[in-house]
Amino acid sequence: MKRILPLAAIEVFVWFALLAVTFLISKVAIEIGFGTATLAARIATQTVRLLVSGALVLGWLLAWKKVADLYLSRMLSRQGANA
Amino acid sequence: MLDAYSAMSLGITFIATFIATFAATPIVAKLMRSRGITGVDIHKLAKIEVPEMCGLAILIGLAVGATACCLTMPLAVREAAAFIGTVLIAGAIGIIDDLHPLGARIKPVLTAFAGVPILILGTYVPYPEIPLYGPVRLTIVYPILIPIALAVTSNSINMMDVMNGAMPGTVAIVAFTMVGILLWAGELRTATLAGGLLAAMLAFFYYNRYPSKVFDGDTGSLSVGAALGALAILGRVEAVMVVALIPQIMNSFYGLSSVRGLRERREIRQRPTRLLDNGMLQASDVKGAPVTLARLILSAGPMGEKEVVRAMMILTAVSSLLAAATYWLTVSVK
Repeated sequence: MKRILPLAAIEVFVWFALLAVTFLISKVAIEIGFGTATLAARIATQTVRLLVSGALVLGWLLAWKKVADLYLSRMLSRQGANA
Repeated sequence: MLDAYSAMSLGITFIATFIATFAATPIVAKLMRSRGITGVDIHKLAKIEVPEMCGLAILIGLAVGATACCLTMPLAVREAAAFIGTVLIAGAIGIIDDLHPLGARIKPVLTAFAGVPILILGTYVPYPEIPLYGPVRLTIVYPILIPIALAVTSNSINMMDVMNGAMPGTVAIVAFTMVGILLWAGELRTATLAGGLLAAMLAFFYYNRYPSKVFDGDTGSLSVGAALGALAILGRVEAVMVVALIPQIMNSFYGLSSVRGLRERREIRQRPTRLLDNGMLQASDVKGAPVTLARLILSAGPMGEKEVVRAMMILTAVSSLLAAATYWLTVSVK
């Protein structure tokens, strides 16, 4: 149990980061609007919202990967030192 | 709120699915062994041959469960049809993959087709609930996202299915959480279907737990992943499901990014873990080895396969608690 605590902590970090990303999506991506008068405007609005949200989610995934990579390299080098 | 009628429907669906899966698994295993469809349990010193493709029993169980749901809750026919249609399409792709391995790029494309029943039956609401914000209007883009979501969930579960009991054990925890959250949300029909998935996973776990007597193969893992994706869409708990599946997404995303894209297992030379002479597993220290959840868990030191799976289940329990917290945050905004 003690050995997986750091991974559980990464999960919690990832969750908080996800909440931060959804907050940013709600404040940035959702606010984007080109009107609803025409179909083209509606498609443009939803596409741009999705692209901006996608970019934010990608940032979330990269931050997540960075933390996990750091954890893995640290643990493996510690194991190597012990060996 | 769960009334007596819905509770009865949930109970009958659960029991019917459990009995069907539990009874079908040894029969399917016997059939697969007699046809020579077996796989080697690579994480054991004694290289035991285990019947493959026994996920067919999960498909049988879920079909029985969906039928029980329709019979006891006639209003749920459309949802149950969309759910089982999605599961069967993903299962059919899994059967093809088990018999004639598909390429790493074609598999996600094919699993995306599992979303077709949901699209045809229109059992989705294109207003996904975003935590801390509420529903977002995505009427045009949402139908395009459905096949992508199903490809992600089915392949994430598939990639997690690497050790004895890992797939049914972790998915049972997610399904249990989903039953609770969907009941809380008042989505009784979807909660009943989630109850069926929970029953199928518990029944299959009995046979698949360490030391495994059966392997589900891609037939089982792809269909179960598609079932989770379908539940998220039908029950309008997309973001909550993403949080519940953090360990699975962690596993697939790290795996894919560390080997730089979609690759078939056979194409990857380095293994993420290695079996020691004492039967324990150790994380690979080779730089190019895929970064998987098992490797991350084992980086703390060698462990037995059973302990690694237990760690995966604990991490899934943590993500399930976070999923419940996410749902609470979503409804508190409302």
